Formats: sequence, C-alpha cells, structure tokens
Amino acid sequence: MMSEQNNGISRRSVLKGAAVGGIGLAAGGSLLASCGTKDVGPMMWGGRGLEESSVQWHEAVKTAFETATGNTVTLNMNDAGAFQDNLSQYLQGTPDDGFDWMAGYRMQFYSDQGLLEDVSSVWDSIGDQFAESYKIASTGSDGKQYFLPTSWYPWGLHYRKSTMTELGLDPENIANWDDFMKMLEATKKKGLIGYALGDKGGWEAMGTFDILNARINGYQFHVDLLAGKEKWTDAKVAEVFKYFEMMIPYMNKNVLDISWEGMRDLLLQKKCGAMMMGSWFSGDFKTLSQADYDDLWIVPFPEINPTHGRDTIDAPIDGLCVAANGANPEGGKALVEWLASAEGMQARLDSGNTFTSANKGQDTSSYDPFQNQQLAVMGEAKYITQFLDRDTRQDFANPVVAPAIQNFLRAPKDITKILEGVQAQWDALPAL
Amino acid sequence: MTTIVVDKKYKNSQKTKDRVISIFIGFFALAWLFPIAWTIWSSLRPYNDVIANGVFSVPETLNFDNYYNAVRLMKLPMYLTNSFLITFPAVVLTLGFGSLIAFVVSRYSFKFNVALLLFFTAGNLLPQQLVFIPLFKMYLAIGDFFGNRALLYDSIVGVVLIHVAFQLGFATFVLSSYLKTIPKEISESAMVDGASVWVHYTKIILPLLRPPLASLAVLMTTWIYNDFFWALVLMKSDSKRPITSALARLQGEFVTDFNLLAAGAVVAALPTLLIFIVLRKQFVSGLTLGSTKG
Amino acid sequence: MTSTATNATVRRRRSFSPKDRLTLTAFVGIPTAFHILLVWIPAIGTIGLSFTFWTGIHISDIKWAGLQNYNNIFTGTPVFWDAIWHNVIWLVWFGLIATPLGILLAYQIDRQIKGHRFYESAFFVPVVLSLAVTGIIWNFMLQPGGFVQGMLGRDIGNPISIYGNYDINTYVILGIASWRHIGYIMLLYLSGLKSVDSSLKEASAIDGATEWQTFRKVILPTMKPVNIIIIVITVIDSLRAFDIVYMIYGSSTGWPILGILVFQNISGGGMSMKGAAYAVILFVLCIGPMITYLKQSFAEDVK
Repeated sequence: MMSEQNNGISRRSVLKGAAVGGIGLAAGGSLLASCGTKDVGPMMWGGRGLEESSVQWHEAVKTAFETATGNTVTLNMNDAGAFQDNLSQYLQGTPDDGFDWMAGYRMQFYSDQGLLEDVSSVWDSIGDQFAESYKIASTGSDGKQYFLPTSWYPWGLHYRKSTMTELGLDPENIANWDDFMKMLEATKKKGLIGYALGDKGGWEAMGTFDILNARINGYQFHVDLLAGKEKWTDAKVAEVFKYFEMMIPYMNKNVLDISWEGMRDLLLQKKCGAMMMGSWFSGDFKTLSQADYDDLWIVPFPEINPTHGRDTIDAPIDGLCVAANGANPEGGKALVEWLASAEGMQARLDSGNTFTSANKGQDTSSYDPFQNQQLAVMGEAKYITQFLDRDTRQDFANPVVAPAIQNFLRAPKDITKILEGVQAQWDALPAL
Repeated sequence: MTTIVVDKKYKNSQKTKDRVISIFIGFFALAWLFPIAWTIWSSLRPYNDVIANGVFSVPETLNFDNYYNAVRLMKLPMYLTNSFLITFPAVVLTLGFGSLIAFVVSRYSFKFNVALLLFFTAGNLLPQQLVFIPLFKMYLAIGDFFGNRALLYDSIVGVVLIHVAFQLGFATFVLSSYLKTIPKEISESAMVDGASVWVHYTKIILPLLRPPLASLAVLMTTWIYNDFFWALVLMKSDSKRPITSALARLQGEFVTDFNLLAAGAVVAALPTLLIFIVLRKQFVSGLTLGSTKG
Repeated sequence: MTSTATNATVRRRRSFSPKDRLTLTAFVGIPTAFHILLVWIPAIGTIGLSFTFWTGIHISDIKWAGLQNYNNIFTGTPVFWDAIWHNVIWLVWFGLIATPLGILLAYQIDRQIKGHRFYESAFFVPVVLSLAVTGIIWNFMLQPGGFVQGMLGRDIGNPISIYGNYDINTYVILGIASWRHIGYIMLLYLSGLKSVDSSLKEASAIDGATEWQTFRKVILPTMKPVNIIIIVITVIDSLRAFDIVYMIYGSSTGWPILGILVFQNISGGGMSMKGAAYAVILFVLCIGPMITYLKQSFAEDVK
C-alpha cells in the first residue's frame, strides 16, 4: 500500500564518505572538465531560496558553469515555499531543465508520476563521487536514479558561543534531558529565551517533533510512524508531546507569530540561547558579519532515552533534478552533472557559501570550523532521516501534521484529541 | 411663527450634532489614512537610521534612497511593465466583448437575452479557486495542441484571457443597464434607415457608450491591476509576473529591510492611487452603474 | 419605460440579412464561447473532480471516489470546522459592524456635513490598493519594531504576539479587512443615495423627524435594491476571503479559512481532490447570495 518511505540512508558509510574527504577526486575537477557538456545549451536552472546568500551562490555557480563549458544558463530564482507549493503545476507545465530539489519521498512521488527525467546516465558518469547510500536516496521506485545530491545539513541545536560563555553554560557537554532542562532554566533566568521556536509556517516545529520522537522512541518507530505502520494515538507519541510541553515555558511567547526567519533573527540578535534548526541558514550569519558567523555553533540534540542515545538525526539531502517536461532535458542532465560534480561543488564553496557537500570527493580542506562541526554532528549519528515533510506523504505533512502541532502549541492540554484527529485523517487518506 | 422658531431650534441643535459628527468622522478619516501615511513616511527614512535611532525618532535624513534602491533591487520596472502588459489588453478586451453582448441583448429582443445576462453575471460571482485546476490542465492542453506548451500557461496571454473571461460579467451587466436608458428610437431609426448590425453598433451605440466605458475602464484597470491570484498560480517565471504577485515574493526576500519594502509597496500602489485621484469621478460613476439599475 | 410597445413593433419588423445574422452570431457567440470555455467548463470540471481521487497530474489516473472527499472533510478534518467558524465570524463581523458602519458613513457624507469631500476620498483609498499592498502596509504597522509595537512600548526583540495570539488575531485580521470593506460599502451606498430624491429627505425633515428617523423610515426603505446588493456583497466577500489571510500566513493554516483550505489542498503531492471539494463547498455557500443578487438585478426583466 504505502511505497517504501525510508530510502535506507541508515548506514554509517554515508557519513564516513562525506566526513573523510580529501580522498579520490579531491582536486579532480580536471577529470570532469567539459565532459560532454559542450553545446547542449541553452538551459534553464530553477533555483530555490531568495535569501541574499542563496541568490549569490547560485549566480556564482552559474557563471562558473558558463565559463567552464561554454553553455548559457538562465537562472530562475524562486521563493522556496511558493516553489514547493506549486511544484506539481511547475513540473507539468513548462519547468526549467534542472532545478533544486530534495531527496526522499518528495522526489519519489514526482518520479513515480513520470515528471522527472531519468538521470541514471549521469550516475553512470559521476556516480563514484558519491557514497552508496546517496545513490539509494536518489533512486526512484523503479530502480532508476532521478536525483543528484549536492548538499546536506544537520538539524541540531544552534547557539552563539559568546552567549553561552556569558551564561556560563557548556552545551557541548549536555548528557541528558535533565542537563538540557537546567540549561534552558539558566538561560531563562538571565532574561533570554531558552529555546527559540517560530512555527508560523507550520513546518518549523517538525524539527523538534522529529528529534524528540527519535530520541525517545528510536529511529525505527519514527520511520514506521511516518509510514503509517504505527499509530499517532500510541502512548509513545503522547510521550513525545509530554516532553515537548516541558519546553514550552522556555520558548518565546510569540511562537505562532514568527516563521523560521523570526527564529533565526532571535539568534542573530542574541535574544535566545538555543534554537533547533537545520544549518542551511548559516549563510545569513555570514551576510551579517564574519564575527557573527564565527560565533555560531551546533551540537546534536541531547540524549533522552539511553537505549537510543543520540543515534538519529534529521539530515535532509538537497540536490538537483531534471524535469521531464523541460525544454532541454539533455541540457538539463549536462547541467546537473556539472553542478553536482566536485567541480560544481567547488564553485559553490568558492563563492563563500557555507554548505556541506554531499560529494565524497570534495576537498574539505577549505571547510571552516562550523562546516566541520556540521560534519561531526552528522557523523556521530547512526541513522539519518530526511525531515518529517520529506519522509511522509505530502498531503499528510502540511495539511494534517503542521496544523496539529500548531494546535498543540496553542493548547497543549488538547493533545489527545489532536492526535486522534491526526490518526483519523491518516486513515482517511486515499491509497496512492 | 411657532413653526419657524421650532425649526430654528431644531436646526441649531442639528447643526451642533452635525459638527460633532463631522469631527468624529474626521478623526476616523485621519486614522484611516494613517497606516498609508506611516508606510510612506517609513519609505523616506533610510533603514540604518531607523535601526540606530528607533522607530519614533526624529529622522536625521529623509530621502528617496529607498525608492532608488527599490527600483533597482526589486526589478520594479520589469514587474510594472508586466502589470501594464496584462492590464491594458485585458481591459480593452473586456470592454470590447462586454459592449458587444450588452449591445445585442439590449437593442434586440431575443428570447435568450435575460438568460445570457444571468449567465454572465453569475459567472462573475464565482470564486476564482473553483476554476483553477481544470483551467490549468486546459491551458496546457491548448498549448500542446498549438505546439507551444507555454502559450497560455506561464504567459501573459493566459493571464489576460482569464481576467477577461471573469470580468466579462460585470462589464456586460453595467453596459446593458446603461443601454436600457438610451431610447429605443435611436436604434429604431437606424434600422429603418437600413443600417446593418455592424453599423448600428459602431456608428451609433458605441459612441453613446463613452461615459460608462470610461467608468468601467477605470474600475477594471484597478481590479485587474490589483489581482493577486491568477498570476500567482498560472505563472512560473518570476520575470513575467505583475507587480502585485511579485510583492508576496519581495516581502519574503526583503523581510528585514522594512523601509525598502515600504518604498516598493508605495511604487506598486502608485498607479491605482493616481488613477483614483485623477479619475475619481469615473470611478464613482462606474460603481454607481454597477450597483443600481437606471 | 415605454419600450414594450416599440419592442413589439421591432420584433415584427425584423428580418435580418445574412450579413447581420453573421455579425450578431459573432457578437454574441465569441464572448459567450470565451466565457463558457474559461469559466463555466472549468467550474463544472472542478465540481466533477471533487467526486474523484486524483493527483492532478495524469488524466488517466482519475478514480471515482463518490462522496469520500466530502465525508473526509466533514467528519475527519478538524481544521475545516475551524475554517468555517472563521468564515462565519467574518460574516457576522462584516454584517453587523463593517457594513452598517459603511452605510452610516455614506449617509452622513451624503448629508454633506463639513469635510464630506475629503472623507469620501479618505475612506475609499484603501479600496484602490491591492490586497498585496494592504498586507504589506499592515504587516508594517504590526510587526516587531513597527508602529503598534512601538506604541505599546515593545522594542524589536520583545514584541507582543499579534498574528500568533489566538485571542486577538481574529480581530486584527477582521480589522484589516474592514479597513477596506467599509470604504467600499460606503461608496456603493453613497452612489445609491445620490439617486434618492432629495425632496424626500427634506420633506421628512420638515415633518420634524430626527435624522435617525429619517434614515430608518424614509431612506432605508427607498434604498431596498441597493440594500440587497450590499448584503449580497457582504456575504460573498466573507465567504471568498483569501488574499489578506494569505499575505499574513502564507499557505499554512495559521488562521484557517475556506479560501486558504482550497489553496492549500490544490497543490499536488496527494491523491485526493480535497481542494476541489473545498472549492465546491465554497461555491455552494455562495449560491444563495448569488441567486438573491440575480433575482434583485433582473426581477424586472424576467417579468
């Protein structure tokens, strides 16, 4: 009934591959140079994310591509949220040839519908630059590849080192939930927000839910829950929300007023202690100043249940797809091949973008401490999930789970009723 | 004599009441305009000034820097051009088509007249969301039929056409109401003189329709220019979007620089504001025609 | 109107030349075909789709679902009832507060109290602004570091919760919507009032009636056609509300309302056509007011 939700990115090998780096095709741009990418243009590249840092690296990479291959690329930048909402129309209509997208269920749905171009040939060409489990994440249900990974990032507790020093706290050495609560308490006593959260967009709080569920109930339960094999009315899920509720007194008072940008701004303006988020936003800190960027740090969410420790992490993989209905699918394949290769990734790094590459041949010697810390955080985990709204059906994540969590944040006491509603709506979903 | 005295007393107390009412409403009118004034005020202040000194501070400088930057960074000329390219043809086509139907329905007595008017007016009241999914598929299908998928989807033509289709109802209704007030004798004599339908329409009726056409033009321009929904869902290329649909995106992109955003919003609002100020009479009479029947 | 007699004469006399027949067919046919193709056919299509399961992608995948989408909405989707509740509140607010205020304003301005020309423009300006601009203006007023927060003494790091505060956000949203709606109603009513015979108003005043009595007993009844139009517009706009909420909350259900639910469920990624079902429910709710509007506007013609 439900197609395989988890693409099996659960092996340590994934992390080893990315974290080690410097091996193999480190400076291997030359092997890739202009391999079959000449004269297949012009092509269009659909980019996601309108923050200044995002636009900047897209343009830098586009220029690098044009210089390296002599093809012309038109860049079509989009607001990430609107792009996601309208992807179905986008892919059916007149999509760009290559476009930024995500791995996991979100990719599989569209490949199953025939809206994505088969890029197995690209994998044949540069597949050895990626660890095996990335290939699994990029494979559709028919066994062919539809996705090229470029970057990934961990979801973890972000904070400013300077703030923590002032508060006399040491987030790197929180051993369990009690320590975590003590940290939040200490932060609150000093007049700061212990745990910043903004859930106006409906998805931000999923990060907190995901990690609490994984910590308390373990990776397998989390995956099974999102696949519909476990019930939301299970006592285990209620347990998750119990812990969630314990954090509410330490959150900002306007959780439902602000979106992720608001959360980020709270950290930017030193108004909070910790914030659970994916590291993609770090570029915004750099935009503010190098000093602010150097002040930023990340640690995994603390352990709650010793059985599971800190063995799971949300580490969504972002990358590229080629649209089947694009004007120039061959050009699209050439585009994504170059972009996902070590050469393309290097261009992105060179532009100053502080992401962590999915390419195992990536020269990570230029990684700054924060990038290395991201790798360390991801490296510590045994199991990787993609984030709730990428790991389950799209007509469930946003229309059902997002408002459920928002309702919980509004009225925590209603959680039983809310969870019953969630389960009922899952049961009512028509089979795909 | 008593009546006059009573009258005067009544008039005086009424006058004081009126003065109070006027002041009361005046207060509200100013409050009404305040948000707009605040936005314009904010757009004239540089962002750094506000951040440094606070929102209520007396400004160090007031300049048009934000406007200069808004035009530059937000690609406003491109979006405004798109707005124009959508609005102008849409208004012309709507008025043209509307006048054709209104003409036939009010000058000739066909059995289907009322049904047709009912039909168009009802169509105008339909919610936009009711139509979207099949319309999207239809646009793609028509595009494929002519060999160009982007013929209607992600194109200005497609957005123009759906605006026309939706606004036809109102235009038809207003123009036919107006035509009902024009004596039949004019058409009578034309037909007796042997004028063809075409001549009847172009030489006699159309010139008479100038007043409501002007009013409708003003109204339609405002409505179509201000529309948000169609360009949002029917266009994928940012470069083709009109200013109103682009504003949502711009708000996301420049969310932290409020003053810059304010300038962008003011520029976006300028065309309709100008139309309203300059052509207010037409605006009002257009609504009048639409709300009451002659 | 004395056209009935002339009408009859015209009918008898008429016989159209082929050229005329062609012109008439084109005049009526082209716009009508257009309207049917782009409005009515998709509308019927959506109604049909609401009874199916479909991803929205390949037509061959359409599966009949009967009433399952509706069943799901009515019995299995709590946020739907939140949305309906918000639509109802919107309607009640507009009906009992915003629209009457607009009417009262129109009446006072029509009486030409001092400054009435300025007031007429002032209240109407928000109507000519696009809802996108309106959203930005109000986001601007209410955001952290904005005017309202500043007046409440809260700086940018410590704002009070407005859009996320479920005790007050409804009123804030309705306030913003009213900011527009009142001016619109005011102008519609004003234009209707202008056509009321002024001698009626004067006669009433001479008879010693107070302004309020004049309004209630003389003006209001005379304005029956306009009253109906105003009521219909109030109802339909309350049901169709979308733009302002979208500007504030995006497509998340931060403050659910029917229009947002349609939009949220229309984008692909699922198998149900719940979005279509929502749109149909919205449409059905509008039918009553629509028919009232049509009856009022065309009563004479149908006779």
